[in-house]
Formats: sequence, C-alpha cells, structure tokens
Amino acid sequence: MGNINNNMATVFEKLTDLKNVFKFGEKIVPIIQSLIEFMKEIVPLLENINFSISDSTKKIPQASNQIQNVTSATELATTEILDLVDEITNILIDTENSITTYFQDINERVESYEKLKNMFVENPEVLAMVEKLSPSKTIQLKETRLLDKISKIKSDSYQITLSLQVQDITAQQLASVNHLIESVHNRLTSLIQDIDQAELNRDIKEISTMEIPEGVVFDPNASYVNNSDRQKEIDVLINTQSNKTTQEEIDTLFK
Amino acid sequence: MSLKFLVVDDSLTMRRIVVNSLKNLGYNDFVEAADGQEALAKLGADNTINFVITDWNMPVMSGLELTKGIRNNAESANIPILMVTTRGVKEDIIEALQARVSNYVIKPFTPQVLKEKIEQILAAQST
Repeated sequence: MGNINNNMATVFEKLTDLKNVFKFGEKIVPIIQSLIEFMKEIVPLLENINFSISDSTKKIPQASNQIQNVTSATELATTEILDLVDEITNILIDTENSITTYFQDINERVESYEKLKNMFVENPEVLAMVEKLSPSKTIQLKETRLLDKISKIKSDSYQITLSLQVQDITAQQLASVNHLIESVHNRLTSLIQDIDQAELNRDIKEISTMEIPEGVVFDPNASYVNNSDRQKEIDVLINTQSNKTTQEEIDTLFK
Repeated sequence: MSLKFLVVDDSLTMRRIVVNSLKNLGYNDFVEAADGQEALAKLGADNTINFVITDWNMPVMSGLELTKGIRNNAESANIPILMVTTRGVKEDIIEALQARVSNYVIKPFTPQVLKEKIEQILAAQST
C-alpha cells in the first residue's frame, strides 16, 4: 500500500508540473507571437540596413577616386599658373631691360641737346627750337615710375607663386582624408562579410577590398596658416638645441 | 662661397616655389629630386652640391631618412640641411633635431624666413 501511495504522489507531482508547464505555455505563447511579429518587422529593416551599408560601401572607391582626381587637377592647374607666372616674370624682366635701355638712350639725347643749346646761346630762335625738340626734363621721373610699377607687378607675381604652397598643403590633407575613407571602406566590407556571408555573397563579390596604396605619405595636421608664431616656436627649439640643452629643457619650452 | 642647392620635395609645385624663392634671393645653381633616395643618388654623383633643402613627407625615402643618410656618410656629413615641411608638432621637430637637421622651416614659408635660415646656417658653418 505504501508503494502505491508513493507512486500516486509522484504521479500527482508530475501532473502538477505538467499543469505548470501548460500555465507557463499560456503565458509564453503571446510573447513568442509578439517576438515573431517583431521579427517580421525588423528583418526587412535589417535587410534594408544591410543593403544601405553594402550600397554605400560600393560607392566609397568612387569617392576616393574623385578625391585623387581633385588632387591631380589642382596640381595640374597649379603647374599651369606657375608656368604663366614664370612667363609673366620673364616678360617683365625683358620689359624692364628694354625700358632701361630706352631711357639710357633718351638721357644721352637730353645730354646732346644740352650741349647743342650751349652752342646756340646767342641765337634765341635756334635755342627755342632746340628746347622744343629736346626730350622732357621730367623723363627720369617717368622712368622711375615705370620701373617701380614693373617692380610692383614682379613682386605681386612672386607673392602668387608663394601662395600656391596651398596646393601642396591641401594635397596632403586630401591624402589624409583618402586614407581614412579607404580604411572605413575596408572595415565596412569586413563587417558585411561577418554579418551574413551567405546572404550577401552576391554583393560581396561586387565589393572588393580597396587597396590602401603603399608609400603615400602625408601630414594629417598640414594647414595653410600664414602665422609666424609657429615658426617662432620652432626657432626657439632650434636655438635651444644649438646651445646643447637637454631634451627635458626642450620639452619644457612647449609646456 | 657659391652655393649649389639640392631641392628635395615630391611636390613639383613646392620644388618650383623653393627654386623661385632661391632665384629671388640671388642663387642660381640648383639640382632637384623627388624623394630621399633620388636625392642621395644625386648627392653621390655630384660633389659640388653644398646645401640641401628637403621636405619631410615623401614616398620611397622621407626627408628624415635622407638627413640620417647624409649625416651617416663621411663625405656628406657636414652638408647643411634645411628641413621645409608642414610638420610642426613638437615631437617631429625634436626628431628632426636629433637627426641633425641644420634648421627647420614650417610651410607655408615666406622668402624672408627662407633667407634668414640660409644665412643663419651659413654663419654657423663659418664659425
């Protein structure tokens, strides 16, 4: 009898467990249903995100190429500007030389007319005629003004040349941006491959890993700032070094 | 003393600007190179070069490596080297000094600064 009672107790215990399982099932089924609904909504969204990432990733090499094209175009344009400035400078030098020669000739003529006038001091009629034919006495002033203007144009042309340093500096900034873009592209490609290898096989074939070109060097902090303070700080360092100070002393200059 | 400059920069624009500036300062003898390796080859082939103006960031061989290469060669060890670069952070300048550049100019440079540095280097050499 004792055994039967024990077995019945076990059966009731199991039935209670089973009842609890059903009760839990009743509670969990709506949650699972909500989860399924949620998945139905989220999966297209995830697919959309996947597509956007792979689509954007495919466009990155194009952006990178465009940046390289900008660098090449600005370098070409800068070279053309430098060619033109050189040409202008050469023409100005020629013009300067011609003007100098011309005014030397004029000055010689002025001297000759002065000698001629001395020969006809007693003949006012001839003297007036010589005076009329003689080049203006203000000729030297005109020469100086002309040469000053040419000198100003030459100086301005040279300033244009100096300002073209901006091309080298922006080229380094663009190279730095390009390097970042290429790194992001390769990370994204790797991410897509990790998310769903099978699903995105087709896209992955199209998204090849970008080669980060070797030997491209740049200063990511390059900036076009006409500020003499930066040069002064460097001068302090150089001078300190030439006085054989310690590295610690050099370091404190920048603290 | 007549100076023959070796202007080293991977940017053609910068080489032309440096050469133009030197011409404006009255110098007329130049050799150009696009990277450190080419510069070393030109220095080796022409012992009349007696002043180097170099950029830092260059492919193949940087200006810093070029400086070390020049200083480690007994024949060229005393050639003045002026570094003209965009790199203006403290660590870079200290590294350049440790490599024994003669002076350091930050880009964009002005002709006055270039003139001043060349003269300072030459004055230091003559003493």
